[in-house]
Amino acid sequence: MDALQAIVGRWVSREMLLFLLVLVTLPIWIEPFGLYQYLGVEIVIWMIYGFGFNLLLGYSGLPSFGHGAFFGIGAYAFGLFQVQIFENLLLGIMGAVAASFVAGAIVACFLSHRRGIYFALMTIAFGQVFWFIAIKWHALTGGEDGLLNIPRPALEVAVTSVGLGSNVALFYFALSVLAVVIVVLWRLVHSPFGKVLQAIRQNETRARFVGYNVWLFKWAAFSLSAAIAGLAGSLFSMAQQSAYPDVMSLHASGIIVMMTLIGGGFVSFWGPAIGVAVYFLARDVLGTMTETWLLWFGLLFVLVVLFKPEGIAGAWQQYVGTGSHRRVASLFRLGRK
Amino acid sequence: MSQIIPHILNGLSLGLLFALIALGFMLIVGVMELINLAHGSLFALGAYFAMMIISPNLVWTGAVGEFWQAVPLSLRYGLAILVAPVMVAVVGMGLEFCMRRTYGKKAEYGLLMTFGAALVIEEAIRLVWGPSEQYLQVPQAISGAVLFAGLIYSKYKLFAALFAAGAIVLVWFFLERTPYGAIIKAGAHDSEMVRALGINLSRLRLLVFGLGAGLAGFAGIVLTPIWGLRPHVGIDAVIPAFLIIVLGGVGSFWGAVAGGILVGLAVGITGAYASEWSLLSMYLLLIAVVSVRARGLLGKKSALEA
Amino acid sequence: MALFEAHGIHKRFGHQVVLEQINLSFESNQLSGVIGPNGAGKTTCFNVLTGRFKPDRGQVLFDGEDITGLAPNGIARRGISRSFQIMSLFDEYSALENLLIALPEVRKRGFSMMRRLDADSEAADRASCVLARVGLAGSEHRRAGDLAYGERRSLEIGVALAAEPRLLLLDEPTSGLGADATARLAELVRSLKSDYSIVVIEHDMRFLFDLADTISVIHWGQVIASGTPEALRENKWVRRSMLGRVE
Repeated sequence: MDALQAIVGRWVSREMLLFLLVLVTLPIWIEPFGLYQYLGVEIVIWMIYGFGFNLLLGYSGLPSFGHGAFFGIGAYAFGLFQVQIFENLLLGIMGAVAASFVAGAIVACFLSHRRGIYFALMTIAFGQVFWFIAIKWHALTGGEDGLLNIPRPALEVAVTSVGLGSNVALFYFALSVLAVVIVVLWRLVHSPFGKVLQAIRQNETRARFVGYNVWLFKWAAFSLSAAIAGLAGSLFSMAQQSAYPDVMSLHASGIIVMMTLIGGGFVSFWGPAIGVAVYFLARDVLGTMTETWLLWFGLLFVLVVLFKPEGIAGAWQQYVGTGSHRRVASLFRLGRK
Repeated sequence: MSQIIPHILNGLSLGLLFALIALGFMLIVGVMELINLAHGSLFALGAYFAMMIISPNLVWTGAVGEFWQAVPLSLRYGLAILVAPVMVAVVGMGLEFCMRRTYGKKAEYGLLMTFGAALVIEEAIRLVWGPSEQYLQVPQAISGAVLFAGLIYSKYKLFAALFAAGAIVLVWFFLERTPYGAIIKAGAHDSEMVRALGINLSRLRLLVFGLGAGLAGFAGIVLTPIWGLRPHVGIDAVIPAFLIIVLGGVGSFWGAVAGGILVGLAVGITGAYASEWSLLSMYLLLIAVVSVRARGLLGKKSALEA
Repeated sequence: MALFEAHGIHKRFGHQVVLEQINLSFESNQLSGVIGPNGAGKTTCFNVLTGRFKPDRGQVLFDGEDITGLAPNGIARRGISRSFQIMSLFDEYSALENLLIALPEVRKRGFSMMRRLDADSEAADRASCVLARVGLAGSEHRRAGDLAYGERRSLEIGVALAAEPRLLLLDEPTSGLGADATARLAELVRSLKSDYSIVVIEHDMRFLFDLADTISVIHWGQVIASGTPEALRENKWVRRSMLGRVE
């Protein structure tokens, strides 16, 4: 029993269980709050996107302003797979992940020797290329309207088949994907690979001089992050039952940066989740009160950047009194018994 | 061969306009090492301010507005093209003032700050002027068509190109012939050096941001009669600006001009043969250039990359 | 053959020649010093030797292998480790993490994504040893950015040591330190002498003349003299170029 606990403990943290518990019960309490089931699906999908994005922004310190491209590629790839090849859930998702990974890997070849705003400029440029292709390549992507009538194939496990037609079913499917993503990413950011990425963020030159091939690490981080964005995109095309170029625009790419930062992606693993939840709640709650909710949300964002750049998670850490430096230390405290 | 000449001319004039859009962006990125994502919103704001001056909302202004509406359009337009950029410059300076808290922190914060500002300005435009397509009036004298060498040109496009060329010359003059210009050029990436020269850095930043924003607003006034005026028109402006800066090289005046003209030519010429894909050519041009020359055409080694 | 040799290194930035013609050789198990006035090209020379810049001409040999123009990570992997004059640490990491990242065993598994580094007690023990060696025992979990300046100087050397180098290059390790701290650092470097082949750049002559086995003097982008400290003390060129610093 203890051994089992030890193994579980190495993969799962207490925060993780708490987080997943809140989400598992979400379909029960979301409607009494005056919200709707589909919102849960959206939140979970964007959380996947956000966690993957934060591997790049928060952990590697690489600000990509064109990540929507990979989300979009995942969405289109999934849709095209279902419509053009055949209907299959898991193969479609794998195809989407592979497509966005390949696209990310190619783009990363052009980006990985850059840093700071030069990196950001290039991601914008590449993001726009993909966005533009999505709009213009009518035959493949359906142009501005996008791909319509993308099915939600059933999940087939052994001999049973679970339909994902209802939003609650899709929610639980997306949530299980999110759970896997979180467990894997949590593990990853504590692995040598993740630690090296963070070291590169802090001091790229020194990382190079202690012998790391910084280019390759950046390339890997970018490609991985693109693949996760594609995974989220494939789920999004299922949720929307369509794939369209909007999610690839500079605006949409900026929004994911904004969510990750507001939540506190620079100081906390959970930053993106907080940011995504806040964004969607603001959209739906402020949105019912005023047409120009984005104005107020934008102002909030500006205030966060100005006065609390560590985001909500940063404010929380300060409130709890741990302070970010001690948190960083405790994250890395060695497991010697 | 002769068929291609009008496309080249078209591309050139487009290029001048692109260069105009990129200039303000270039100044800010060069001096402050900051990608101003609000550039497009300031661009749109300039056009909306101009529209407000040319044809004010009568509900708000009443009799004064009616009197003003009776003044000849060319006069109103002339005033707008002078005053609106100044108004945008003031907004830009306000933005710079807010930005001060982000100096000395991660570069991403400045970037995000301007992204937030872009959202806010765009939404504010939507709130004040409504989401629908508007129209910026231009005087009779510079609208309509002109016949040249057996081909019909839009007179306004020619004037717009002239405006752009004029602004480029003015900025060049500013950079080459004024003490501030010399500092901007010399110490573009080196705030310590600027300080050592005894320049008030915060005033320099304020000035540069104001100038950059004013140029963005001016570009908006010049371009929206061609592109149309919507709250999100800025995105059409900010993206070419990015590409041109990366293409031309961060912090280089001639890089921005050359980049603008190259992009204009690429778009103009592909536009003639495959109009659907004309805008893609600029992205491909960019990727081709930076794969060979990482710093862009005329970029200097900068603090931004290493 | 010497452990490390540089022949005819020439480096220009634009029109400015920084290194005219550098010839150096460092023996194993010795402490070699490189001195010269500020702006003489010492740090540029280190940067060329460790791969930060490619030389325009010349050849760098390490243990007989030509490493000219290799990337910094390639040179580091061959066993040349350096510290920086301008402090270059992973500021958000704890002192221990700074060293962990530099350990060769961690570096070799850099792409391992699913095992936890913080469960690797062997690596942690090794990092703790290095930390103790540079006099920072007990500071394992303090954030590098929060350490005092002198402690950061020691950690700077620690990071270079953690890579288990065959040749250790220290770039002005006493830069910015007061007299007491400099003396302590001199003790640290002296204690490393028996186990490592070390090259130290300094403009503080006293520090180096006490420690080094051999010293090379760089001025005007060239090595103008080299030899034992005693011999150099008598050299008129050296006296002329360095005098301002001694008294």
